Amino acid sequence: MKLLVYKAGIWPKKCNLKGRTHIKATLTTFLSRTSLYWVVVLLSGALLSAPALVCAQPASRFESIAQEQAEKAKTLKPPVPDKAELLLKKAEDLFLVDPSGFFPYFDSVYQGGGLTAGAGYRKFFGDNSLWDVKGLYSVLNYKLIEGRIVSRDHWDKRIRFGTRVGWRDATEVSYYGIGMETNKDNRTNFRFQETYAEGFGELRVRPWLPIRSTVGFEQWNTLEGKGDEPSIETQHTPATAPGLGADIGYVHSRISAGIDWRTSPGYTRRGGLYQATLHDYRDGGGLYSFQKLDGEVIQHIPLLRETWVLAARGRVETTLNDSDVIPYFMLPSLGSGSTLRGYSSYRFRDRHSMLFNAEFRWLPTVGLDMALFYDAGKVTSRRSDLDFHNLKSDVGIGARFHGPMATPLRIDLAVSNEGWRLVFSGGPIF
Amino acid sequence: MRIFLNRKTTILALTLATITLASPSLMTAAKFYSDDPLLTAPETQNASGVTPWKIDLFYDLLSNQFTKPGLPPGSRAGNVNTIDEVPDSSWFTNRILAHPLRIEELVRGPLTSDGPAPGQLTIIRAKSEGAAPGFTVRDSAGTTWFVAFDPKSNPEAATGALVVAMRVFWALGYNQAEFYISELTRERLQIDPVATFQPPSGKLRPMTMKDIDPVLARAAQKPGGAYRIVASRLLPGKILGGFKYFGTRPDDPNDTVPHEQRRELRGLQVFGAWTNLVDVKALNTMDTLITENGQSRVRHYLLDVGSTFGIGANGPHDWTDGYENLFDKDKTLKRMVTLGFYLQPWQTVDYEDNPAVGRFEGDEFDPLTWKTRVPAAALLQALDDDTFWAARRVMAFTDEMIRTLVRTGQYSDPAAEKLISDVLIKRRDKIGQAYFTRINPLVNFSLDGSGILRFENAAEKAGIVKTHGTWSAAWSILNNNTGASTPLGETRGEGGQIAIPRNMPATPGAYLVAAVQGVNPPYAAWAKPAQATFRRTPDGWKLVGLERLTRLDTYEGRVPASRSPVNPAGTSGE
Repeated sequence: MKLLVYKAGIWPKKCNLKGRTHIKATLTTFLSRTSLYWVVVLLSGALLSAPALVCAQPASRFESIAQEQAEKAKTLKPPVPDKAELLLKKAEDLFLVDPSGFFPYFDSVYQGGGLTAGAGYRKFFGDNSLWDVKGLYSVLNYKLIEGRIVSRDHWDKRIRFGTRVGWRDATEVSYYGIGMETNKDNRTNFRFQETYAEGFGELRVRPWLPIRSTVGFEQWNTLEGKGDEPSIETQHTPATAPGLGADIGYVHSRISAGIDWRTSPGYTRRGGLYQATLHDYRDGGGLYSFQKLDGEVIQHIPLLRETWVLAARGRVETTLNDSDVIPYFMLPSLGSGSTLRGYSSYRFRDRHSMLFNAEFRWLPTVGLDMALFYDAGKVTSRRSDLDFHNLKSDVGIGARFHGPMATPLRIDLAVSNEGWRLVFSGGPIF
Repeated sequence: MRIFLNRKTTILALTLATITLASPSLMTAAKFYSDDPLLTAPETQNASGVTPWKIDLFYDLLSNQFTKPGLPPGSRAGNVNTIDEVPDSSWFTNRILAHPLRIEELVRGPLTSDGPAPGQLTIIRAKSEGAAPGFTVRDSAGTTWFVAFDPKSNPEAATGALVVAMRVFWALGYNQAEFYISELTRERLQIDPVATFQPPSGKLRPMTMKDIDPVLARAAQKPGGAYRIVASRLLPGKILGGFKYFGTRPDDPNDTVPHEQRRELRGLQVFGAWTNLVDVKALNTMDTLITENGQSRVRHYLLDVGSTFGIGANGPHDWTDGYENLFDKDKTLKRMVTLGFYLQPWQTVDYEDNPAVGRFEGDEFDPLTWKTRVPAAALLQALDDDTFWAARRVMAFTDEMIRTLVRTGQYSDPAAEKLISDVLIKRRDKIGQAYFTRINPLVNFSLDGSGILRFENAAEKAGIVKTHGTWSAAWSILNNNTGASTPLGETRGEGGQIAIPRNMPATPGAYLVAAVQGVNPPYAAWAKPAQATFRRTPDGWKLVGLERLTRLDTYEGRVPASRSPVNPAGTSGE
């Protein structure tokens, strides 16, 4: 019970609870042993004399306050954080600070893997260098284990470099065939296991001018697909699924350059990214070598003091040489929570792809953005077919829970001509 | 002999017992003590046992934003004396309004020196808390200073706001740290050989100048390469950590009034609105343990009043600052379902563009709807008598005082100085208009030997109304021991004077009560009485009691300082 307390004010004080409890106990005993007459008489007496009995009245205001302070002095205790505060502090250490030690890890093994979680161990060395080992596991039995060494913030935070090695296993990746006219009921699955090792570096001559380069080796082994759908080899041949049955090792070189003036890749309300990335996949046997160029333009336009944000992305992935054979699992694709949200993962694959996302975002409160969105895109076998005809599209609504620099949770509900899809993601769409 | 009670008599007995136990009013002795009103709050206990604590920022924000900490609202301030004033204490010292403040006093404020001594500044620590770039240095005289800079986007803004606000809040009565505007160059800095730095790896290592460069890189630089800084002196005493805006410190025996019931903290609802002090949180406060006259006690500071006017530590205030809490359930839902088209004033209010000021304006400002970034229990519990108390202090700042105070911000752009001053004056006037009209505004009651009750109308003095108006006084004699009152009749008067009835008591120790209320007042709230109580002394009548709210007004939160507009007389429904 909380008492309203009037301290130095002119209103009456309340007596302490200890005194009341004592009287209550006395009266209870009394009632059980004495006649009604005496109960009434004595209670009336108590009523009149209670103030004197219970409250030792101070002689002055000063004394009155001094009494309270003396009373409190008897029950002092050190300030101790309560359980909730301790719990929150632990969570802060775990998620916001960057200490050496174990940490929870939320990411994706590969698109379509379902709910995924994991953990890692991190150890810093020097000021800004660390190594870590982490693992992920998804409800569809997708697995990833990765170790890396990263050194960052060199040359006034302009240079970052590192290396990583890892292995992942995606058990039921979907394949519907090539092109836009495939049937959604003709889904097949394949499984792949990728072992990779790479080194990477990033230079920002200016904070908004990133140049990134990666060189690494990737070994792709494909296996019989798991899941309810038939495995790919039962429905397709190398003619409809190039590279079917092949295990391929690539030396993958990648270089990207662009202008990035977003406040953060993880969350932004203004700025843009205009970036081109060149991939060179070199197969040891030469049969499956290819080059690919990705172009991406992202723009965020805040309106009325960021009451709304118009956000748009255009992305093109194109294979450079028409004669190159690209294995089916490396083809540019559309369909997923980060491309065409109304379609299942890897719904469309071909040698070239084009994607357009537009969002009308509004900000109901700090930490929560809502969005109405429209996605459209297509895949084609010829670059010249990358136009605005016969696009696959969807619309939807989403909620994003974010901090100033990151979006830990994005929930999108999209609808396309193939039905409804609910997307949970641990990052922004763009 | 033992008897059994029937149901009726049992109920009777229990009722009597309950009344006895539960009725505090029956246990009350004198309403006024001989030493009322206290002008200094007693702090009688030795507080040397207090231990430092660290209030977690996020926990503090979350608990204030999503729970309702503290006692239920609706209670009158717990630390006011019997004449509705805040006694001096380790929290608060009556300055402006209590006595005339000279301009020199205002300009000096809490400062005791001229700032860091000339010569090298030795960096002894990196900054561990707060968003603004900074570090801790020791000057050539051996004094420790905390150094903070202006954000690059807003040169002079944060440093200027801090030194101006420091003086404003000192004048209002709060304990303030000493902040000095100064200048430094990189060459003036050196690293203490034992200073350590914590890189992202978390491992402490010796600090180097390279560790300081990122801090300087975030700071606004003057054309010559120097940095304008604000240096704050290390507080005297042992640093204990901040205080919360609710509850009490469990290890401080003198901290017996829940903070949400401290009037000087409730008053921050008004002071904060005036200066746009949006970042009210425990982390911006500080307790220290000091020893004076052989006794240790805790002194309480409003440590960081820099997020004021239009600026925060890292740039201009957010658009929503002063208008919305970080989270507002109703507005959030409305914006969710209207695609953001549920527009609020902050989305269209016009700000004069001046980087040294940030977002600060007075035309759209509404003191009744102004909000801190995160709710603070003490501010939320402010009642109309609390806000009136605070508004009187705001209104005591003259235009000249305000302009002089803003000049101490040393803004190189005269337009910035003028803008801040003009806005403060506008906001001050709006505060007077808002809070002097929500409650009976009579002040400075006295009862002289000639039989005249004298008082002033704070609203008239502030220019809110042109005439003093007609007031009536209902007189009664108070039995101080029983609380019983004997009516003596009613008299009326104008011009701040009302004659007392003829049959008033003259014996020493007698108590006379005048409940003074407006007659056809321009504001409905003025028709509620302010109740002044006088005690007869050998020297005449002494004011010992003043209440603007009756218990009915406050108990169970019937009249919290609601944010609804004031109703003119006749439309309030009262």
